[in-house]
Amino acid sequence: MSATTEAPPAAVAAPAPPRHTGRLAGLMNAVAPRARLVAIVGGILAIVGSQLPWATFVLNEGAYPELATLPLGFTGFRLHLVVLGLATIVVAVLRVPAVHRIVRALGIGATAVAVINGLYITAEGGGLGAITASDGAVAFGAVVALIGGVLIILAGAAGGVEPRPELDWALPLWIEWILLVVIFVLMLLVVAAGLTSGGQGGVVNPYSGAVFLSFLGAAGGAFAALNASGLLGYVATLSERHRVFSVIVLLVVALGLPLTSAGTEYWMTVASNIGVYAATAIGLNIVVGLAGLLDLGYVAFLGIGAFVAANLSGAAASTIGIHLPFLLVMVISAVVAGIFGAIVGSPTLRVRGDYLAIVTLAFGEIFVRSAQNNIGGLTGGANAIPNIPAVAVGGFKFNDSITIGALRLPSGVMYYVLIVLLVAGVMLVFGNLKNSRLGRAWIAIREDEDAAAAMGIRTGPIKILAFLLGAMLAGLAGAFFAHKTGVVAYDSFRFLESVTLLAAVILGGMGTIPGAVLGASILFVLPEKLREFSDYRLLIFGLALVLIMRFRPQGIVADKHRKAELAEIPEDAAKEGPGPLPTSVAP
Amino acid sequence: MDPDQPGPDTTEELPPELQAPPEEVVAVLAEDMHVATGTREPILESSGVSMVFGGLRALNEVTFSLGEGEIIGLIGPNGAGKTTFFNCLTGLYSPTSGQVTLRGKPMPKDPARVTAAGVARTFQNIRLFPSMTAMENVLVGRHVRMKQGPVSSLLHGPRFRRSEDEAHDRAEKLLAFVGLGRFSDELARNLPYGDQRRLEIARALATDPSVLLLDEPTAGMNAQETEATRQLIFAIRDLGVSVVVIEHDTKFIFTLCDRVLVLVQGELLVEGSPDEVRGDPRVVEAYLGAPPEEVEAQIHAGATTEGGTD
Repeated sequence: MSATTEAPPAAVAAPAPPRHTGRLAGLMNAVAPRARLVAIVGGILAIVGSQLPWATFVLNEGAYPELATLPLGFTGFRLHLVVLGLATIVVAVLRVPAVHRIVRALGIGATAVAVINGLYITAEGGGLGAITASDGAVAFGAVVALIGGVLIILAGAAGGVEPRPELDWALPLWIEWILLVVIFVLMLLVVAAGLTSGGQGGVVNPYSGAVFLSFLGAAGGAFAALNASGLLGYVATLSERHRVFSVIVLLVVALGLPLTSAGTEYWMTVASNIGVYAATAIGLNIVVGLAGLLDLGYVAFLGIGAFVAANLSGAAASTIGIHLPFLLVMVISAVVAGIFGAIVGSPTLRVRGDYLAIVTLAFGEIFVRSAQNNIGGLTGGANAIPNIPAVAVGGFKFNDSITIGALRLPSGVMYYVLIVLLVAGVMLVFGNLKNSRLGRAWIAIREDEDAAAAMGIRTGPIKILAFLLGAMLAGLAGAFFAHKTGVVAYDSFRFLESVTLLAAVILGGMGTIPGAVLGASILFVLPEKLREFSDYRLLIFGLALVLIMRFRPQGIVADKHRKAELAEIPEDAAKEGPGPLPTSVAP
Repeated sequence: MDPDQPGPDTTEELPPELQAPPEEVVAVLAEDMHVATGTREPILESSGVSMVFGGLRALNEVTFSLGEGEIIGLIGPNGAGKTTFFNCLTGLYSPTSGQVTLRGKPMPKDPARVTAAGVARTFQNIRLFPSMTAMENVLVGRHVRMKQGPVSSLLHGPRFRRSEDEAHDRAEKLLAFVGLGRFSDELARNLPYGDQRRLEIARALATDPSVLLLDEPTAGMNAQETEATRQLIFAIRDLGVSVVVIEHDTKFIFTLCDRVLVLVQGELLVEGSPDEVRGDPRVVEAYLGAPPEEVEAQIHAGATTEGGTD
């Protein structure tokens, strides 16, 4: 308590440290005047911790990554810790704007790395003996790094978290363009590094799950720090200013993924699957995010698209057995899915809210059961429809690898290119619809259906149109899915998939395009990466969802509408804001 | 404001944003919308409209007629059936018996078509789209007049641009008209109460109505805001829109309307000019039970602002 009065001379120039109340107030007030010093100490501890040994013995399944039993190492999670620690020190010494906010974010990153690796070594090594002194060996790495990380967080929180600065510089056009290109390329490299961190799992990389989580923690901390410094906001402003340019660069950069470390057949397949679900999630986003109609059976439209495409692919197992060009198949799949969408949507004329959700749930179940029982011989039942031929243009098959001179691109790369273009197209459709008369009508219906009707919006047809267009997008994705995987089976389209899609939309941020893509990526990469936690995989997954919904209910990428809905009423608005409403006049 | 109407003394104190819309704004807007011919020919008529809910007769044979360019007030104690009558006029309810006509044609049954036919309304409890901006709220009002199909919405061609620009242009004018120009990018839910009421009016005007139905437009407003609303309604009439207002504030109604209708227990009790209605003993009785002289005097002075007891 007395700490604030005897502030050291170093802090004199700085603005008065904040007074804390509530839990930990004493500690916080003690740290507050010397927050930057504490941050520097924490940074040094994080670096020192990274260089100490982390495990006292080689774990059962092989050496923990980055030679954790040995001191000194500048790779993997140790490198991440060094970078986070150094960044903390630099930021604290230079006293950049919003220093405490940045420091807190960096501290969270360092703590995450220490906790994840420490816990994992502890669990795998059979108790605390694996990371503390035992058998005369010393392995305090995790403990020291954890202390460092916690100190940094404490310093950030105690020093008073500043509002995020809003940066904007007037730079020549060409510099801004170059800046955008560089930033997007860096983003691609980070994504590629994230995907490949810890390898593909399995016998070769038994610790890939932990390594990936650790990478996620470090990257998350760094990302939050950039956000805190206002640099991310600046990038957003910049890309908003050069919208078309940004979109083109982003598209080109996305197409560059096969050239990075993630350019293997495995990751091309994962990325293609993510693309399929991202496109479907964007379609679902029209129904749920814009029009506010809860759909619990949405994956059925993906299934309808996939089965239509399978039947028109010339696969031996299909009953129809005709072979149409891929582009035509896509259109037909989309149209058929759209027709079913309109049929499922038609109860919206009479049924609202929870009841509609049950209708859609029932439709999803009907679809899966029908497909399982091979109704009309169109779905192959339990045998599925296998051996769907790959998309071919001329003599070139899309699942072949490409060799251009010295450059060898993995097989599946053409599918990747195709799905990137498909997702880009779907994004364009969603974005255009959202900012149109139709999109506004959907949002108005979501907000207040009766008021929307009073504004002359014919709510029935407009709601059915949401279902129809959303289902068409899913149908497109389904056609791609059938050809990419080569097999279409009913059990790819069960209730759990519908729920996951819905989670992707909500998690990413309802009503936004990047949100749906991000949500789909997270929900389909995480299970891929957490394979070796097999038993706990869904548990971790569910826990992460609960935490995100608790601490960021508007989703990772917040739509301004949703943000407003969930935000508390600002104080000034509350003061003058709505008084008691007049009691209604009963008829 | 209209020179014929007695202006209360609050006029001079109105802050700039609450004052009547500037003449140039009205002039520009009047060019876009239709201008009153002032013929007072009937636009909206109801004949023998009854509404029965279960055993409750909420409306009994209500017949009325709204002339072009007219402002009609609808008053009555709580539960008199005013809002029910509004809902019958706007297609939210279809009357048990009787008929509503707009320019001689029967009123469509569903609210969206009623709006398309040219009857717009506001709600007793504000029903904006709370997490859309003020501008977007008004743009939703333009929905019914925009020529933009799904394909055009999807492709964003030159025709889309044109219709979007027109809608934005009109929405901007309307926001300026109700004095909310500076709030165009503010979320509706963040606006102060009085501004929300005015935004609702702007949104209704965006549908190019020939008849505007206002359900308690000044509920919860202070004297200044009420006066501003009065000015606004005169300005709306000057745009050529006929207005029906439900209000409890009798002083507001008597200084605003050309004609006043008193609805009591679903029946049209009295109809006439403000002076006629003000002097009618049946009205005083309906509002306050037996008429002690001093209360009657209060009504005459226009001091009563509440509907009083049933």
